[in-house]
Amino acid sequence: MPAKTPNALLHGTLDALILKTLATGARHGYAIAKFIEDASDETVIVEEGSLYPALYRMERRGWLEAEWGESELGRRAKLYRLTRQGRTQLAAETAAWRQFAAGVSRILLAQ
Amino acid sequence: MKRSLRSWLWRVPLDQEVDEEIALHVELRTRELVERGLDPKIARDIVLSRIGDLGHLKRTCVDLGRKRDREMRLTQWLDERMGDVKFAIRQLRAAPAFTAVAALTLALGIGANSAMFALADATLLRPLPFPQADRLVMVWERNTQERSPWGTRGPVSPINLRDWNEQNRSFEAIAATALGIGGGPLLAAPDGTLQSVDRQTVTARFFEVLGVTPILGRTFLPADAAGATTTVVVMGEGTWRTRFGADPSIVGREVRLNGQPFTVIGVVPDHAQLARAAGIWSLMPGQLPPNLSRGLKFLQAIGRLKPGVSIEVAHADLSAIADSLAQAHSDTNKNWGVTIDPLRSAIMGRELQLTSLFLLGVVGFVLLMCCANVANLLLARASARGRELAVRSALGAGRTRIVAQLLTESIVLAALGGALGIGIGAVMLTVAPTLVPANLLPPAAKIAFDGRVQIFCGAASILVGVLFGLVPAWQAARMSLVQALSSESRSTTRGGGRFRSVLVAGEVAAAVLLLCGAGLLLRTLLILGNAEPGYRADGDTVMTLDFSLPPTREGTRYPNAQSYLSFYDSASSAIRALPGVQRIGWASGLPYGETELGYWRFEIIGDPPVAAANRPLADFQVADPGYFDTLNLPIVAGRTFTENDRSTSALVCIVNEAFVRRYLAGRNPIGVRVAIEPFLTSPASPKVREIVGVARQLRGRAGEPQDPVQLYVPLAQYPVSDTLLVVQASGVPASALVAPIRAAIGKIDSNIPVRRERTLTDLATLTRAPHRFRAVMVGMFAGLALMLAMVGIFGVLAYAVEQRTREFGVRIALGASTTNVLRLVVGSAARVVVTGAVVGLVAAAALSRTISMFLFGVEPLDPVTFASVGVVLALTAGVAAAAPAWRATRVDPVEAFRAE
Repeated sequence: MPAKTPNALLHGTLDALILKTLATGARHGYAIAKFIEDASDETVIVEEGSLYPALYRMERRGWLEAEWGESELGRRAKLYRLTRQGRTQLAAETAAWRQFAAGVSRILLAQ
Repeated sequence: MKRSLRSWLWRVPLDQEVDEEIALHVELRTRELVERGLDPKIARDIVLSRIGDLGHLKRTCVDLGRKRDREMRLTQWLDERMGDVKFAIRQLRAAPAFTAVAALTLALGIGANSAMFALADATLLRPLPFPQADRLVMVWERNTQERSPWGTRGPVSPINLRDWNEQNRSFEAIAATALGIGGGPLLAAPDGTLQSVDRQTVTARFFEVLGVTPILGRTFLPADAAGATTTVVVMGEGTWRTRFGADPSIVGREVRLNGQPFTVIGVVPDHAQLARAAGIWSLMPGQLPPNLSRGLKFLQAIGRLKPGVSIEVAHADLSAIADSLAQAHSDTNKNWGVTIDPLRSAIMGRELQLTSLFLLGVVGFVLLMCCANVANLLLARASARGRELAVRSALGAGRTRIVAQLLTESIVLAALGGALGIGIGAVMLTVAPTLVPANLLPPAAKIAFDGRVQIFCGAASILVGVLFGLVPAWQAARMSLVQALSSESRSTTRGGGRFRSVLVAGEVAAAVLLLCGAGLLLRTLLILGNAEPGYRADGDTVMTLDFSLPPTREGTRYPNAQSYLSFYDSASSAIRALPGVQRIGWASGLPYGETELGYWRFEIIGDPPVAAANRPLADFQVADPGYFDTLNLPIVAGRTFTENDRSTSALVCIVNEAFVRRYLAGRNPIGVRVAIEPFLTSPASPKVREIVGVARQLRGRAGEPQDPVQLYVPLAQYPVSDTLLVVQASGVPASALVAPIRAAIGKIDSNIPVRRERTLTDLATLTRAPHRFRAVMVGMFAGLALMLAMVGIFGVLAYAVEQRTREFGVRIALGASTTNVLRLVVGSAARVVVTGAVVGLVAAAALSRTISMFLFGVEPLDPVTFASVGVVLALTAGVAAAAPAWRATRVDPVEAFRAE
C-alpha cells in the first residue's frame, strides 16, 4: 500500500484536477496522473483506485468523452477529451475552489 | 452528437476496454520506474501493489461503464426519436392541406371514441364511488316457477330481508331502500318556500352498507329506527346546497316534510343516490307492522359481502335460507329463491351496459374508417415522396430507419389528431346531457371528461398512428432505388393501388354495417312512434300531475282513507271550475308502465284453487270514472266506472285486454268474480270484486315484450294517498293549466305537493327516449361513416384516373368513345363498392342479432332496412364516382402525352 502523503487529495478535488488537465488536450489515464503529479511537483499523488473510477463516472456524466488513440508504446490507448459540458463544469469547480481556498486561507493564514 | 457517434464506431467490449486501459497504465508506470533505475520486475511489483486490489478496481470501472453505456444508448435513442419528430413536424408543415385533412379526420374519430368511452367507462368500468365497491351486491327475490312481471329480479319482502339478515353468514349486512313508496314530499326551505324533493326511504344500515361518509353530522343508526315511526332524515348535498344555502348548522334542525316535522341528523354526498334520484332520505321503522304480509315485496336490497366471500358463496348461503323459509312459510315463500348481482351492473342495468358497449363498437368502426382514409392519403403521398425516400435510402438510411421515420410522422399526425379529438370529445360531452335522456343514466353513473378519458385518447392516438402508418411506411420503404428514381414510377404504385382499393372496400363494408344498424334502430323508433298507445286522447292536450297526500293519522286533516275522498272531491270541483279544463280524472298509474301500487295477486273465483305463492299477478291500478273519460280509453266490453260505484256499493273492477287474453280466454269476462289479495295485511283475506268492464290495452314501456296485465279498481272503493291527476285542456295549452291548478290546490291544502307536470306526449317521448338516443347516435355515426366512405371512393378513383391519364389519352386517341372510358372508370369503382357492400351486408346479417334486444317490432334481418341501405349506398357511390369519371372522359390526348 502506498503511504498516505500529507497532501492526500481533498474530496472532490480530483474531478477538478482531471478537468483542468484535459483542458489542454486529450490524454490517456496514465498521462493524466503523470501530468497532475509533475505539475504539482509530486505533492499531489493520484491513486489508480480513484483515478479510473473517476474517469468512468465523469464520462457517464457527459463531462468527458473517450476515443481510441495511439499511446507512446504504439498500442491503442483510450484518450479522454473534455466536452462542452466538461468545460462548464471546470469553470464551476474552479470558481468553487477559489472561494473555498480563500475562505480557508483567511483562517489558517491569519496573522 | 459525438457522444452518440462513439458507440457506433467503438465496438470494443467493456471488459476489454477496462483491461486494456489499466494494462497500459501499469506498463507505462513500470517504464517510468525502470527509467529511474529500478529493476523491471521490482518496478512492476511496486506499481501493482500501489494499485492494490486490481480485480476490485476493474469491477468498479466495468460497473460504471455499463451504466454509462446504458444511459448513452437511451440518450441516443431519444436523440434519434427527437430528430424524427422534428423532421416529421417539418414534413407535415410543408404539406398543410394534407395535414389539416388527415388530422381533422382523425380528430373526428378519436373525439367520438373518447365521448363513447366516457359513457362506457361510467357504466362498465369505473367502480362505484364507495369503499370496496366490489363487495357491494344487489339481492333480488325470484320466483322459480312462473315468470313474474319482474323476471328473475323482483323486489324483496321486508320480513324475508329480516330473516336473511339474521341467518346468513356471507354478508356484513343487507340494507334496503323502498321501491315506489314515499313519492316526493314537499320540503319547506328556511325562506318558507315549499318544493317537492325526491325521497328514498331506507333501512337503518343503508349508508353503513354503502360506506357513505357524511359531509356533516351522521347517518342513520339502528337506534333511530327503534320505534314504530321515525322522525329523523338525512339530507343530500344537492338539496342542502340549493335549498339551505349549505348552512352548516342544518344538523339538529327541524325540517317539515308535507307539514310533518323531522330532524336532520346529517348531510351525505349526492352519490349515495344510486339508482334513483333522492334529495332526502327518511328511515324505515325497524319494527314491522304486525299484520304485514310476508308475501309483500317492495324493497330493493343492497348487501355488503364479508371480505373474501364470493357472490357464488353468498348466493348458495341465501338460497339455503330461502329454501328453509319456503318450507316454513309455504303459503308465501314456496318457489321463491334469490338472485344476486354485483351492485354496479344491477344499478346500470343490462340494457344500458349493452348500449354503451354497442355505441363504443360503432365509434370503433368509425375510427377504423378514419384510419383507412388517412392511410389512403398517406399512400398517395408516399408515392409522391418516392424520390425523397429513395435519395435518403441511397444516402445510407436503412429500411427500418425509413420505416421508423415514416411511422413517427404518422404518430405525430395521430397525436395532433388526438389533441384535436380531445377537444371534440370535450365539446361532445358538454352537449351530451341534452342528448342523453334523463331516464337512461342512473344518478350513480357520472359521465366525466377526466384523466381516464384523456389516457384513453392518448393510447387510442398512438395505436391509430401505428395502425394507419404501418402499411404506407412499409410500402414506401420497399420501393427500390431504381424504381423510385426512374422518373414516373408507374409500376411502384400498382401494389399501393391494390391496397388502397382493399381499404376503400373495407370502408364501404363498415359504412354498410353501420347503416344497417342505424336503419334497424330507426325502424324500431318509427314503429314505436306509430304504435297504438291504447288511449285515444290527443297526448298534447292531456297534462298529468303527481299528488301525494300525507299518511292517515288521527287528529290531522286525514284521519282515515275516506278523508282522502273528500280531498279528491273538493279538488275535482275546484279544478273543473278553472277556465280551459275540459275533463279531469284521478288514477294511481299512467300509461307507459308508471306503476305505483305494484303487482297484486289474484284468483278467479270458480277456477281450480292455486297455492297462494303461485297466484298470478296483475298491475293494480286505482282509477275514478273521469280517468277513462279523460284518456279516452275505450271500454271494449261492459261498462266504465260511474259515480254510483261508491265504498258502500258492490265491489267492482275493470280488467284490461291482456288480463282477459291470459286468464279468461274464451269466456265472457263480464260478471266474473276475482279475489284480489290485499297487499298489506296477513293473513290474506282477499276482497272479491266483480268484473264490470274490459278496458282497451295500454302499451307498456317501449320495448317491453309483453302487454302488461292490468286491473282497475274504483278510487271510491280504494282511496289511496298517492295519485296522478289527468287533465284535458281545451282552448289553452295543457301547460297553461299547471299554475292555476297549483293555486287551486294550495287553497284547499297548502301541504299537498303537486309535482312532475308532464303531458301524455311527454310520457310517450320519455319511454322512447333510450330508443331515440340509440337511433340518433348510431344514425349520426353511420352518416359520418358514409361520408368517410364517400371520400375514400372519391380519393381512390381520382387518383386512379390521374395515374391512368396517359392510358385514357391513348384510348381516346385510338377512338374510344366517352361511354367506353366511363365504363372503365365506373367498372373499377363498382368492383370496389360491390365487394364492400356484400361484405358489409353479410357482416350486418351476422351481427344484427346481437342488437336484437334494442329492436322492437322489426326483425334483425329486416329486408326493408337492408334494401334501403343498398339504395343509399349506390346513390352515394354514384355521387362520389361522378367527378373522377367525368374527368376521365375529358382527358385531352395531346395534353396527356405532353406531360411525359
